[in-house]
Amino acid sequence: MSLDMVQTKTLLSVRNLTVTLTGEGRDVLKDVSFDLAPRQILSVIGESGSGKTVLARALASWLSEPLAVTGGEILIEGRDLLKDPAYARTLAGREIAYVGGNPAGALDPTMTVGAQLVEKLRAVRPEISAADAREKAIRLLEAVKIPAAERRFHEYPFQYSGGMMQRAMIVDALMSDPALLIADNITQPLDVTVAAQILKLMRELNEDFSTAVLFICSSLPVACDAADEVMVLHDGRVVERQAPDALIDTPQHGYTHKLIEELPTLWAEGRDQAQPQDRDRRAIMSVRGVAKHYETRSASGKALVQAVRNVEFDVFPGDNFGIVGESGCGKSSLMRLLTGLERPDAGSIFFEDENVGEASPKRLRALRRKFQLVLQDPYGSLPPQSAIGAILEEPLKIHAIGNRAERRDRARAAMSEVGLPTDLYDSLPTGLSAGQRQRLNVARAMVLEPRLLIMDETLSALDQTEQGKLLNLFERLQAQHGFTYIFISHDLTMVRQVCSRIAVMYLGETVEVAPNERLFFDPGHPYSRALLSAAPTLEERRYRPEDCLMEGEPPSPIDLPPGCAFAGRCPQAFDRCLTENPRLRSRGGQALAACHLNDPGES
Amino acid sequence: MSAIDISPDLPSKARAKTISARIWSEAFASTEFRIGLIVFTLLVAAASLYPWLSDVDPTKMNIRAKLSPPILMGEGWSWSHPLGTDQLGRDMLARTLVGLRYSLLIGISTTILMVAVGAMIGLFAGYFGGRVDTVLMRLTDAQLSIPMIILAITILGVSRPTIPSIILVLGLAGWPVYARVMRSTVMAERKKEFVRGAMVLGATDWRIMFTLLLPLVLPPLVFVAVLDIARMMIFESVLGFLGLGVQPPTPTFGNIIADGRKYLMNAWWIATMPGVFLVLTLTSVNLMGAALERARNKIYAGA
Repeated sequence: MSLDMVQTKTLLSVRNLTVTLTGEGRDVLKDVSFDLAPRQILSVIGESGSGKTVLARALASWLSEPLAVTGGEILIEGRDLLKDPAYARTLAGREIAYVGGNPAGALDPTMTVGAQLVEKLRAVRPEISAADAREKAIRLLEAVKIPAAERRFHEYPFQYSGGMMQRAMIVDALMSDPALLIADNITQPLDVTVAAQILKLMRELNEDFSTAVLFICSSLPVACDAADEVMVLHDGRVVERQAPDALIDTPQHGYTHKLIEELPTLWAEGRDQAQPQDRDRRAIMSVRGVAKHYETRSASGKALVQAVRNVEFDVFPGDNFGIVGESGCGKSSLMRLLTGLERPDAGSIFFEDENVGEASPKRLRALRRKFQLVLQDPYGSLPPQSAIGAILEEPLKIHAIGNRAERRDRARAAMSEVGLPTDLYDSLPTGLSAGQRQRLNVARAMVLEPRLLIMDETLSALDQTEQGKLLNLFERLQAQHGFTYIFISHDLTMVRQVCSRIAVMYLGETVEVAPNERLFFDPGHPYSRALLSAAPTLEERRYRPEDCLMEGEPPSPIDLPPGCAFAGRCPQAFDRCLTENPRLRSRGGQALAACHLNDPGES
Repeated sequence: MSAIDISPDLPSKARAKTISARIWSEAFASTEFRIGLIVFTLLVAAASLYPWLSDVDPTKMNIRAKLSPPILMGEGWSWSHPLGTDQLGRDMLARTLVGLRYSLLIGISTTILMVAVGAMIGLFAGYFGGRVDTVLMRLTDAQLSIPMIILAITILGVSRPTIPSIILVLGLAGWPVYARVMRSTVMAERKKEFVRGAMVLGATDWRIMFTLLLPLVLPPLVFVAVLDIARMMIFESVLGFLGLGVQPPTPTFGNIIADGRKYLMNAWWIATMPGVFLVLTLTSVNLMGAALERARNKIYAGA
């Protein structure tokens, strides 16, 4: 690009852009104006429905019915894209590249990743030969740190992990040397540690390839991490634009102020929970050495995926127990074991002195009255064609509790307890928002008055404000009914807010079990530290990602290394870690960790 | 964003009714449903009442009045035979209405039998999977590999071709398609989270299959099955053609059409009248079905 020399010139300038939802006559974007200089990274942040994605699509000339631009201009190097659609078409995919948040959906599953990259480049720049395109693709795959790029070039998307697919999508966008890269929520589906790596990568690429980046996301800490400047979008308007530090120190607009205020913190002192537990109480659920593997077919015949390997923890009555870990660490498999949906291959799960793993199906059904699960997906977890009242009465019918009128009363009582209007009794859940659906899920679980509620990523689909409301609800219900909660989550800030004790999982193992304060201020396992270092937060970090995490992704659960599973990414790994897998050991004060570094003889 | 904004401010009065009541009232509000209902009711009433009320005997022959055309449709028509007569001078209106009665009986009960057997087998195969699935699906394949006509000749040739045995043969020949469709939809639904949710609540397999999954996957299947009612009526006439259907002189659409085929050049109405009634019946049933389906989709989509 010839733009490199004129750093001060603007690459993109948007003037009074207005986008209208034609059916309803509602403006989704109102008078949006901003400039973007070459090589600049600009974050756009706002809650869901604030028009972020619409903005991204308007810039990429990718608006479709019923959305239409009704005013303003989008100038790229002084030429208006809206007045000159032919020019816009030549730019799309060539000078303006777009990366979305769903890499698995964007890659063609029937073509190798390499072939797709080459095809993409040759489609926008037919003058480049296939061999050159191929060479470029491999070079870029190396640039985004895909290991063994030459070999990976010939692999299919399903052989890539989520993080690698997202990297491949970035390569796809960079193939044509774009001047502007629009990154729409690219880190959302990724785990924190992988997302942190992608963010780092974006910055490096920005320097190496002199691409301006419009980085769209919904999390303020991520936005501040990623960009030179942050633009806040609220209700379709740009309310503020500042450098990240200035934005956090002196927010100009009330909405930004509110955003910063609502942000949960990881290391703020003076929480009133996490009281010391008295050890004499009997555990309500006690998990001992649980393991579960699944069979899959791989290239060399059948292979065992060790989803859960060595999980141990106790949950005490009244506890808020957290289980954290990245995707693929076995959280969901563990959830299925804890709820008796599947049986463990080894180890035992005791719920009030009864082994869930070995109980007869009939006994298990009876036990289920006392422990309940709230599922993750607010849309998929409710039967689509049952009325809300019927959904709530179903568990009572299953366990043959009460007569018709009593069940109706109990369902209504549960509805009002979780804050759903009772006149929704006969309506379908279709019109409910995600937050209301999760309330309904909670109501369904608690209508049986269980003692233990397992929350499987219950809050991860909700936005900040709604999460806060539900957490308050959980607290109130706990006070009223004496529930014990197990929160399964990948969200450290959420866990930090509510849990009294936390187990950290890595590749099917519990690597650390510790009280809340202890885990966040004195983690006993390098992986916990790496997780903490990667957590998106505006606070001053206690742990720097550079010190805690090495490049790379977790090893495949099919062929695990003989030693500690984390050794490959651990900066402190030594010989013993490669040969011997550490067991959970007490570090004093209820904290347990599985790391050789904690042995008195080592370090 | 727009999808969420629309729904909340519906009047709460409409909400107070149960879901199924809302679907029926929604369907009843549409013109198609009413037209379908009126036509269907008239046809059923005529089929069940006319042969009983009027003193015209559908099997009474009158050679002198043979092959007389319907009213105003050619030379020699008369008011006593509104739809004309066949080659033996039997009244077509009476024959068609009695035929409609038998054909409806055979078509509908065969389809019900077919859907019931297919849905059950598909439900079990899809829900339990594994060995149950293998056994049931191989059974289905085996059934599919036997040509229906051979099966019908074998069974109806050995036993007498009475109406129950015809229903049984046709029903047993048709179920594999439904079993396959049912199996695949159940397999897809079964993996969804709400099924797991029900299991965690403590629901038995039986309960999940019949109260949760069946109401979800059956309606589309029934919608397709309505079309099969016509197919089964035709199959009955195929059997009739082979001499294995309902035995003369009892009229069914099958044997009326088979008879009329020979006179198509000079007495088109013999083969046409059953066809007209068949079209009317099926159109009315389909109109009602389509309106119901539309109402269902509308209600479940959140209206």
